[in-house]
Amino acid sequence: MTGFVIRKILRTLFTLFLVVTFVFFVLRLTGDPVSAMMPDDTDPAILDELRKQWGLDRPLGIQYVEYWRNLFQGDFGNAYRDGRPALEIVAERIPATLKLTLTAFAFIVIAGFPLGIVAAVKRGTAIDRGIMTISVTGFSLPNFFLGILLIFLLSVTFRLLPAYGSDHWYNLIMPVITLGTAGAAVIARFVRSSMLEVLNSPYIRACRARGMTEREIIWTVALPNASIPTITILGFMVGTIIGGSIVTETVFAWPGIGRLLIDAVTSRELAVVQTVVMMTAASMVFANLAVDLLYLVIDPRRRYASGTGEQ
Amino acid sequence: MPDFAKETDPGRAMPLAISNLTVSLGVGEGRIAVVEDVSMQVRPGEILGLVGESGSGKSVTCLAALGLLGSGWQTDGEIRLARTRIAGSMSEKALSSVRGLEAAMVFQDASASLNPIQRIGKQLTETVARLRKVGRGEAREIALDLLRRVEMPDPEERFYSYPFQLSGGQNQRVMIAVALAGRPELLFADEPTTALDVTVQSQILELIKSLRDETKMGVVFVSHDLGVVKEVCDSVAVMYAGRIVEAGSVDRVMNSPRHPYTMGLIESMPTLSGHIPDGIEGQVPSPLNRPPGCAFAPRCGRARERCRKELPIGSSDEKQSKDYVACFFPLTGDLTRAVNSEPVVRSKVANAGGEDALLELKGAACDYGTRRGLFRAISGVTLSMQKGGSLAVIGESGSGKSTIGKLMLGIEPTSEGTARFNGRPVPILGTKDHIEFTRSVQLVPQNPYLSLDPRAAIGSQIEEPLEIHGIGTRQERRTRKFELLEAVGLHPSLSDRYPHEVSGGQCQRVVIARALALRPQVLICNEATASLDVSVQARIIELLRDLHGSHNLSIVFITHDLRLARSLCDRVAVMRSGQLVELGETTATFEDPQHPYTRQLLASIPDVEAEHDQSREIAQ
Repeated sequence: MTGFVIRKILRTLFTLFLVVTFVFFVLRLTGDPVSAMMPDDTDPAILDELRKQWGLDRPLGIQYVEYWRNLFQGDFGNAYRDGRPALEIVAERIPATLKLTLTAFAFIVIAGFPLGIVAAVKRGTAIDRGIMTISVTGFSLPNFFLGILLIFLLSVTFRLLPAYGSDHWYNLIMPVITLGTAGAAVIARFVRSSMLEVLNSPYIRACRARGMTEREIIWTVALPNASIPTITILGFMVGTIIGGSIVTETVFAWPGIGRLLIDAVTSRELAVVQTVVMMTAASMVFANLAVDLLYLVIDPRRRYASGTGEQ
Repeated sequence: MPDFAKETDPGRAMPLAISNLTVSLGVGEGRIAVVEDVSMQVRPGEILGLVGESGSGKSVTCLAALGLLGSGWQTDGEIRLARTRIAGSMSEKALSSVRGLEAAMVFQDASASLNPIQRIGKQLTETVARLRKVGRGEAREIALDLLRRVEMPDPEERFYSYPFQLSGGQNQRVMIAVALAGRPELLFADEPTTALDVTVQSQILELIKSLRDETKMGVVFVSHDLGVVKEVCDSVAVMYAGRIVEAGSVDRVMNSPRHPYTMGLIESMPTLSGHIPDGIEGQVPSPLNRPPGCAFAPRCGRARERCRKELPIGSSDEKQSKDYVACFFPLTGDLTRAVNSEPVVRSKVANAGGEDALLELKGAACDYGTRRGLFRAISGVTLSMQKGGSLAVIGESGSGKSTIGKLMLGIEPTSEGTARFNGRPVPILGTKDHIEFTRSVQLVPQNPYLSLDPRAAIGSQIEEPLEIHGIGTRQERRTRKFELLEAVGLHPSLSDRYPHEVSGGQCQRVVIARALALRPQVLICNEATASLDVSVQARIIELLRDLHGSHNLSIVFITHDLRLARSLCDRVAVMRSGQLVELGETTATFEDPQHPYTRQLLASIPDVEAEHDQSREIAQ
C-alpha cells in the first residue's frame, strides 16, 4: 500500500513542478508587469528603475532559480503594487472560493447521482427521457450564460434573490446552480449509463434469482458497482469546477480567488497569478490523487492488482 | 392478487410442474413465441436434463419459471413451483419472495454471477439472513457451513475472498452454496459446468448429485453436452426450436432415441472410443421464421410431406407423461454404433521426431513478463509433427496448451529451447521473415466472430491474405475465393455477406477458408470448435478431417476436449501446468494411458457411451 501511495505522490509532485515551471515562463514571456502598471507616458528610466528594483532585469534562468529558492522557504513573492505577500492576498480569498466550489461539488453529487439512478431504473419511460433532456440542456448551456440568465430571471424580473453579495446562504444559490449544473448533468448521464451496464450484468440477474428485491439490488449491489467508473469523472469534475468558478465569480462579483486571478492577470501581478495557479493546480492534482486512493478503498480488484492488498 | 395463490399439498409437493407454457417476446399481435407449448415435471430428488442447441429455448424456460425474464416478455400456460403458481401478472415483489426459497438458480459463468466488489462470505451471509430470516451471527455460521457442504477448500479463509480471487470452479461452488441458502425444493442449473475444466466439471457434477441425494431437491439441469446429461440426469427433455421434441428417462432416450433430432445430437457427440461425430445439416430456425410443420423437418433425413405441413404434437396426456416423442415417424430400436477403433486419421509417417519433422519444439520454454516478474508458461516441452500429421494438444486452462500454439506460430519467442519449422527456427512476429512464414502456418482461433472484421464482406476477408502477399491478379484472387468457399462447404452467395449475417458455424468456415487461402502446410486450431453447438462442431470436425485428407494439410488441434482429440488426431500431447506429461499415438494413449494425469482426465470425461449408473435411477 505505502509503496503505491508514495509512487502516486511523487508523480503528483512532478506534475506540480511542471505546472509551476510552465506558468513561470509563460507569464514572463507574455508581458511586462512594469509597463502594464505604469501609465503609457512614463519616463523609460523610471520603468528601468522599477524593473531593477523588482529583479525583472536579471536573466530568466536566474529569476527562475531564485523563485524556487524562495518557494522552498515559504516565500511566494510579493505583490508589486502594495508589497503584500502574494500568499496572504490569495489566502484571504480562499474561504469564499471554497464555500462556492464545495457547495457546487455537493450539488453535482446530490443532483447528479439520484437523477442518473432514477433515469436508469425508469429506462425508456417519459421520466428517463425528461431527465436526459434536462441533462443535455444542462451541459449545453455555457455557465456564464446560465449565470446571466439566472440574474435576469431571479433578480431583475422576479426580484427573488440579490444579484451579488456573499454574506448570506441564499447568496450561494445562483452561483452554485451556475457552476454546478453542467457537472450535475454530466454525472447524471454517466451514472445512468453505468447503472444500465451494471443492471444488465449476470450478477444482477443472479441477485434477482436469489430473491433480492429491486430496491435492495439497486442500492446495495448496482450503485456501488456503478459508482466505481463514476468516481473518475468526479475527479475530472474538480478541474471543471475550479475553471468554472473563475467565470462564475466574475458574473456574481464573488470575492474568491477566481476574480482575484482575473484582476491579477490584467495587472500583471506575477507573484499573485503564480500563487493562484499553483494552488489551483495543486488542488486538481491532489483531487486526482484522492480519486486514485478512493479507488483502492472501493474496488477490491484494484487493491489487489496494485499489489496493495493482503494476499 | 388472484394469481398468487399459496397452496400446501399433503406430503412432498412437486418441485416443478409446467404445463403448456408459451413464452413470447413482445406483446399483442406481433409477438414472437420463443418457447411454445412446453410441459414438464420434476419430482423431489429428480434431476431432469434439459438439452438442445443454442436457440432451443432451454434457458428461457428456466428464467420464465422464476419470473426472471423481465419486461417485454409474456408467459402463458401454467408454472407451478412447490407452493406457488408463477404467473405473468405477479409483481416483482411477490416473485422475489419465492425466488431462492422454492427455486434457486445457478448460472454458467459463476465468476460473473457474483457481486465483484463484495467478499463471498458477505454475499452468502446476506442471502442466508434474508432467506432464512435469521440474525447476522447465525447467518454467518450457516454460511460457513454451506461453504463446507459445497466442499470449498479452506472455507474459513475463502469466506473473506473476493470472487476474482477464486477459480471458476470455486466460484461455482459459492454460487451453489448461495443457491442452497434458502433450502429450495428446486434448483435450476443452467450450463453450470460448461465454462469449467473437465476435472473440475466432474467434481461439480458429483457435488450436485450428492446435494440432491442429501436434500431431495429437484434439479433442472440445462446442458448442451449429452455426455454430462447422461452422467447426472435421471430423465431428459430434448428441446428444439422452442418445443420439447422428446422426453423420457436418461437410459431410454440415450440408448434408444426416438426423435431424429435426439439421434442427431447423440451422433454429433465425439466419444472417447473414437466415434466420428456426424453433425446435423443446417441450423436451428430463428423464432422469427419457424417452419409451419415440424421445425426439424428441413434438417431431417426422414421428413416426409406430412412433417412439413402438420405439427407433430402428442395429446396433452402424452405430454404430461414422462415418455414422449413429437414425431410422426419416430425411430425404433436401440442405438447401435460401429465403434471405430482404427487410427482416426491415418498418419503418413508412423514415428515422430527425427529429421523430417515439419514442426518441432525442442526443450521449449516460454516466459511471460507480468507485474510480479516472469511467469513461466511452459518449460521443457519437446514434441514434433510430421508432414501431413495431426497433433492434438490437450490440457486444462492454464496448462500451457495455447502457449504451444503461440510458439509454433512465432507469436511468442522461446525463452529456452527451440521452435523449428522445416528445420529452420520459427520467425518471430514482427520480423520480416515472419510475413513469409505466415504462408506456411496459419491459425484458426476460438471465436470466429471476434477474428473476422465485422465491417468487411466475407469474400473480401477471404481474399485479404492473397492481397497482403501480392498473390495473383484480381481475377485469379476472385476465382480462388470461390474455390475456397466451396472447399469449406459455403455457398458462393455468402461472399457478399457480413459476419453478423451468418451463423457461428458458417463464420468458423469463413475463418478456415481465410486460413487456407495461402495454401498453408499447417493449420493450428486453438479451441476452434469450443464456441459452437455440438451439431455444428461435428460438421467443422468433418471439414477439418476432409481438408487434412485431401489437401495434405497438417493440423495442430489445441483443445480441452479429449473426445475431439480422439476423433481428429493421430497423435496427442497432454499438457499439465506447463509440462508435457504424455505424448503418443492417440488410440494407444486413450486405450492405455501411461501418466496418472491422463488417466484422471479420461476418467473425468462425461461420455455418451459410458454405462449409466443404474443405482442412481429414482423409482418411477
